[in-house]
Amino acid sequence: MSSYSDQLSDQDVETRPQSPFDRFLDGIAHFCIIVAGVMMVFLIITFGWLVFGRYVLNDTPTWVEQSSLVIVVYITCLGAAAGVRNNSHLSIDFVREGLPQLPREIMRYISDLFVTCFGFFMAWQGWHLVMENLSRPIPMIGFSESWRAAPLVICGVLMVLFSCVNIVQRMLKLREV
Amino acid sequence: MGLMILFGLFFLGLIVGAPVAFAVGLAAVGTFLYEGLPLFVGFQRILSGISVFSLLAIPFFIFAGELMLHGGISTRLVRLASAAVGRVRGGLGMVNVSSSMLFGGISGSAVADVSALGSILIPVMKEKGYDADYAVNVTVTSSIAGVVIPPSHNMILYAVAAGGGISITQLFIAGIVPGVLMCLALAVAAYIVAVKRGYKGEPFPGWSALIISFAAALPGLMTAVIIVGGVLSGILTVTESGAFGAIYAIVVTGLVYRELRWEPFKQAVYQAVRTTSLVMILVGCASAFSYLLALYSVPQLLTDTLLNISDNPYVILLLLNLLLLGLGMIMDMAALILICTPIFLPVAMQFGMDPIQFGIIMMMNLGLGLCTPPVGACLFVGSVIGKIKIEHAVRTIWPFYLALFVVLMLVTYVPAISLTLPGYFL
Repeated sequence: MSSYSDQLSDQDVETRPQSPFDRFLDGIAHFCIIVAGVMMVFLIITFGWLVFGRYVLNDTPTWVEQSSLVIVVYITCLGAAAGVRNNSHLSIDFVREGLPQLPREIMRYISDLFVTCFGFFMAWQGWHLVMENLSRPIPMIGFSESWRAAPLVICGVLMVLFSCVNIVQRMLKLREV
Repeated sequence: MGLMILFGLFFLGLIVGAPVAFAVGLAAVGTFLYEGLPLFVGFQRILSGISVFSLLAIPFFIFAGELMLHGGISTRLVRLASAAVGRVRGGLGMVNVSSSMLFGGISGSAVADVSALGSILIPVMKEKGYDADYAVNVTVTSSIAGVVIPPSHNMILYAVAAGGGISITQLFIAGIVPGVLMCLALAVAAYIVAVKRGYKGEPFPGWSALIISFAAALPGLMTAVIIVGGVLSGILTVTESGAFGAIYAIVVTGLVYRELRWEPFKQAVYQAVRTTSLVMILVGCASAFSYLLALYSVPQLLTDTLLNISDNPYVILLLLNLLLLGLGMIMDMAALILICTPIFLPVAMQFGMDPIQFGIIMMMNLGLGLCTPPVGACLFVGSVIGKIKIEHAVRTIWPFYLALFVVLMLVTYVPAISLTLPGYFL
């Protein structure tokens, strides 16, 4: 459905040597997906409760809308970070993959640098937003607005970690060859 | 210079194979830095781009689609279509098209359509003597109906990318006639090719079998009725309908069909999270990107360029179609909707096109891109299921492309096709 929004194949997932560190990183990515999955199910249940409350109890739970808007940021950021580790983001690979090995390798490094740089800015500016909004409450639920920005920091840090590991592992592999 | 940095970084990211979302995001960050704009504004836009109420419908639709895939709804829809239209010459081709119309209408995703129906129908078609390329071609081209027939999460993306001023309900209704027309045109193309290749029809299983298969498929079909009906009646918002549809799908696949066990449920949640996060991060990054597009008046620049080529609206609309078709061939649908809508929609409106009609045209063009090489997700999935090379499928796919292109031109030049029905309902 990606759609991907419509591209869902795992064709790009590279086979990695499974060292304990790799398994640890895979575990982090998997944990992100589990947390996001639980949040997704919670989101659906709360919306069911919203409709039930409005039409059956005649008492609309007003917290559902605002809390869902925060939860969806967590689902997005955790899933996006895991997507960097699992190499499942939408990308155009046919140009790079059609080239000889040297330019292809260089392009892979640049691609990882894109992710690293964006992750760095995301973590940095996300932190800025967290600190700026500490005393600003989210309407209806009362939590600080910083909770909405916090996933940007988590996602940014994980993106930098995963993509840096990709770069280092690729360099080590190249040296072995 | 700022515009050059924006598009330069974006295209560099695309060419090196960086994730589209981060290519878009880093291009925006680079331009913010160059222009001396506060960077946190860009990330604030990313955050507010994700935190949109109507976008919450997307995870619900995706989740409902995944449940249908894993919970037995698709199998029952194929049985119903087979009993209803299987006896026509090249019957399984017709079954394929009509199943896509039913399933696509519920799941709203072309790739889900190909994976769900293709894995059932393509092997059966091959077994019954149909050529693999025919089976693959019918499956992948008819899957596009899923992005036009409501409910479609791509339409929600379009409405959000257009600035939120377009009614999602109107878009949903506007997609019905073009979607049905696409299926009819594909059925005609499938029939002509079937006659030419000498395929036979299936024996009619009898009225009782037809009624039984309809009764079995009805609970699944009701998912679409609930989602679209909830929106049209005004009782539920699109987001609430999506959530209600997902809950209903859990009940039907788990309690009525009894095919949804713990493992398939986990799989559905996993896929839904994965797809949702990929689409939503793209939405956020595209939000910062489109802020800069507006800052540099890119739509106006494009309008001026097109006016230099011709001032005839018919020519301009054809050019827009060709541009979208070309882009659809190399990039993913969601990314294109988010990036192209803020650029192309003002141009189309300046030449007198209704934004609802343009939305449908965009869906059709980008949908066609899903079944064209080099980046056609549906074509890839279909070819893998059919166990044939993409070149093999593409060599004989042109009658189906032609059928879809004819409908695309009709929808482009006859606004009534997409705009009449929304006028009756609202």
